[in-house]
Amino acid sequence: MIPFVAVVSLRGRKSRTLRIWVPLILVWLLLVPLAVLLSPLLFIGCLACRVNPVHAFSVAWQILCALNDTEIEVEQRSAGVSICVF
Amino acid sequence: MNEHRRQILQMLSEGKVSADEAERLIAALEERPSGSSDNASEAGAKFPPKYLRVQVDSEDDGHEGPTKVNVRIPIKLLRAGVKLAGLIPVQALNRANEAIHEKGIPFDLTQIKGENLEELIDQLNDLSVDVDQKDHETKVKVKVFCE
Repeated sequence: MIPFVAVVSLRGRKSRTLRIWVPLILVWLLLVPLAVLLSPLLFIGCLACRVNPVHAFSVAWQILCALNDTEIEVEQRSAGVSICVF
Repeated sequence: MNEHRRQILQMLSEGKVSADEAERLIAALEERPSGSSDNASEAGAKFPPKYLRVQVDSEDDGHEGPTKVNVRIPIKLLRAGVKLAGLIPVQALNRANEAIHEKGIPFDLTQIKGENLEELIDQLNDLSVDVDQKDHETKVKVKVFCE
């Protein structure tokens, strides 16, 4: 499944943590019309580069699905940023 | 195990090792649990790694302060990434190969294939890379492993 939520945590030096829940499902829903509009261009681009458009779409989908459970944390002194994708 | 014992006895007969050394080598072989490497590989096959972890721990005595980086990447993402590399047009791969060869790196991007990656990922369970670097002000530890 594609990721539905991303949690971005920002921790300041005063130990305050700001946690932002990003509903990725809404982002995907907003991007779908754009992707539909751009699909002819993407199709032509793929053909121009001699890339199978179906294969390209399949790989892009696999990458999107594989983003689940990705976690990136960076901390410096007491400040830090963390991004988790679910 | 028998093969190792035979090699030791052969070295003894050829005079490459003394009787004491041969005895110690055989004792060391017997102390080693039988099939330990086989068990490890079996465990790896039973529990294939799910994530690639990269941890960087830097202790800086200067004004920067300590820095920690912790990245967890699903192995699925690596697989998908290599499939993405398969989409790169041949001309672009050839150009990239030329640029890599100019830098003196003997690496051929056209040889990266999905099936090779599967084999590599199967062996990732035993992977652990530890890098320790110490300067006069900083101490950096990098750890790469699969879990």
